[in-house]
Amino acid sequence: MTTTAPEAAKSDTLPSGRVVAIAGPVIDVEFPPHALPEINTAVEVDLELDGTTVTVTSEVAQQIGDGRVRCICLRATDGLVRGAVVRNLGRGLAVPVGDAVLGHVFNVLGQPLDTDSIGEAEALWEIHRNAPDFDTLEPRAVMFETGIKVIDLLEPYVQGGKIGLFGGAGVGKTVLIQEMINRVATNHNGVSVFAGGGERTREGTDLWIEMQESGVIEKAALVYGQMDEPPGVRLRVALAALTMAEYFRDVKNQDVLLFVDNIFRFVQAGAEVSTLLGRMPSAVGYQPTLADEMGELQERITSTRGHSITSLQAVYVPADDYTDPAPFTTFTHLDATTELSRDIASLGIYPAVNPLTSTSNILAPEIVGERHYNVARRVQGVLQRYQELQDIIAILGLDELSEEDRVIVSRARKVQRFLSQPFNVGEVFTGLKGITVPIEETVESFEALVDGQLDEVPEQAFLNVGGAESVLAKAHEIQGQ
Amino acid sequence: MAGGQERVLRRRIRSVQSTKKITKAMELIAASQIVRAQARIAAARPYREGMSRVVIETAIGDPTAAGRLLGTPSSLERVGVLAIVADRGLCGGYNTAVFRATERLVADQRRNGVEVQLSTVGKKAQGYFRFRGQAVEHSFTGMSERPTFEDARRVARVAVRPFVDGEVDQLVVVSTRFRSAGSQVVEVRQLLPLADPRQLVGEDAVAARELDVAEAQEVRDGYTEFEPDAAELLADLAPRAAETDIFGALLEAAASEVTARQRAMAAATDNADELVKKYSRIMNRARQDAITTELMEIVGGAEALRADDVETDGGEMIRTAV
Repeated sequence: MTTTAPEAAKSDTLPSGRVVAIAGPVIDVEFPPHALPEINTAVEVDLELDGTTVTVTSEVAQQIGDGRVRCICLRATDGLVRGAVVRNLGRGLAVPVGDAVLGHVFNVLGQPLDTDSIGEAEALWEIHRNAPDFDTLEPRAVMFETGIKVIDLLEPYVQGGKIGLFGGAGVGKTVLIQEMINRVATNHNGVSVFAGGGERTREGTDLWIEMQESGVIEKAALVYGQMDEPPGVRLRVALAALTMAEYFRDVKNQDVLLFVDNIFRFVQAGAEVSTLLGRMPSAVGYQPTLADEMGELQERITSTRGHSITSLQAVYVPADDYTDPAPFTTFTHLDATTELSRDIASLGIYPAVNPLTSTSNILAPEIVGERHYNVARRVQGVLQRYQELQDIIAILGLDELSEEDRVIVSRARKVQRFLSQPFNVGEVFTGLKGITVPIEETVESFEALVDGQLDEVPEQAFLNVGGAESVLAKAHEIQGQ
Repeated sequence: MAGGQERVLRRRIRSVQSTKKITKAMELIAASQIVRAQARIAAARPYREGMSRVVIETAIGDPTAAGRLLGTPSSLERVGVLAIVADRGLCGGYNTAVFRATERLVADQRRNGVEVQLSTVGKKAQGYFRFRGQAVEHSFTGMSERPTFEDARRVARVAVRPFVDGEVDQLVVVSTRFRSAGSQVVEVRQLLPLADPRQLVGEDAVAARELDVAEAQEVRDGYTEFEPDAAELLADLAPRAAETDIFGALLEAAASEVTARQRAMAAATDNADELVKKYSRIMNRARQDAITTELMEIVGGAEALRADDVETDGGEMIRTAV
């Protein structure tokens, strides 16, 4: 399945089948017994709808016996009739790869959506591929600076690592991922690939327009399968984008940024497909093959020797329940996780990153340095203590705290506010210009804060500012009024 | 899935409920103490009034004798401050208010170049001022809720002596005044030198007027005879008067403390109720979610199994059709 050049001529010689049953996006097709297509093979069927001929591409999902296969259609099957001729393509779904894809938007079949033709692609790669071998993986642990205080300080991203952005509905996942595209992709030397799976179509368009404005589009490819598409599409769109990214990594030897919005939709699509295929649902109604599907995708998103894929994945958390199997299965694959929390968003603090539950496995003294590590832990310690005191404050009031605790509470409230930061893409909402804070300044500023050097500065001065200097400047401004 | 969350919440509710039991009990105890504390203030009042009458009459009788014991100190170089707070917390803003007034006073005096000698009553003051690195000359504990006259004497011995010896030019008390069960205010009062009845304003002025200062002066000026002479008498009377005043301040502080505690604990009990309600709501939702999820799983599973049977039949049908 990993062959690079599928033989297009093969489909002519392969015997065709016929549609025997249609159930929404799932069709059963009968092939001659000796020419049954394998699982994940693509098949095509033409249908006549309002006088135009539409080609529906499907993927074989199951062989159900008696010379039949069950296929998942990547397009609505309205107008399809039983008995229609189904061509066996003799290969899996494939997308064009190489420099030709840069600057364009694709659907899951690799067809450009923004133009008629993208010119000659270097190759057509199948989207089902094997993960790289163990011995080619690169165990690198280099920090990836984003200029966002809360991320750099408390859950530093890994270069060539997998990063998850978790959050319930409407806490700012998509804004954060767009901010990362804005911050990182513009200064990135390699290429970027964006997979839009199951999210709002409008957001996809916005992103495309924004990329054109910033010029990032020249070095980026976008693959969309948004929420209006059938489940088969939403299940495969991440793989299609990933395949493009893999080509840049393996053949072009480039560093790639892969953005996926949203992994949960991939799981959700998998559940839909699973139900359509008649599998018994497992925990919380998800597909029984959840961990397997996730593993197949995530294991491919990895860095091999010398060439990295750094991926940023937004993960929707249904009903803010982190124990839900979908986010839970995703967790285990990630190097760094950013959890966006509703409680923090409701305080008006953006990005609404939860500083206590967000983690990174490179937040260790050997990697980020002793000082950064200690400051991060102390900041978390202050916030942790504040959280423990919440009940006491709620019942007895601030007056009953010991002197030490009162200081901690005031610092914690400052830390909370200091973790906010205006975004470039948020300028339209907040009217504040995006701020980038170098990691050294972040560490220094937070060290000053937990050391008590900023105890005299009023709380409001910490909201939506950069480093310690801008805190003092804002405090001055507030007092001046 | 959500069972963990439910358990966490249940534990939290239990802990809030036991906190509530304590705050409720404290509220009731404090409420019963208020009456007693008020009675003690009332009981001490006649002596207090009598004492101040004697002092004022003596002072008025021989204005030259008062010297530095009466009126406003001519020069301020050192001042003694006595702050009265509670031994225990859990009384809302009672302690904090006194601390704040004390700190403001100390800062003001320091700014004017006046040296401050701070003494405190109440265990809470020890911790507070130690944490802030503020030196405390003497600190008394174990009397805040039920001060006896013996306690007041002990405090007075230490607080008044520097003034008598001339080490400080003024002695100031920062404490909470118990006006009524509904109103207590923090007050900064000069204890020594004793207030000059001719300069009194506000509440104290009322008491002074009762003495009919003007009349007293007119009638007695030059007529009262003192044995021993007025100066000697005053030198002995003033510390006693200060002692009585300190006792009064302690009593009022104690009454204020229990009142503040009763109020704070009533509020805490209400807050705890709110919290229990809030957590219960979240917990019930979590439990309901878990139940719904489980039901869905069972129904879904059963449905999937049934669907398999139906499908086989369907398959047969289709085959005949083809």
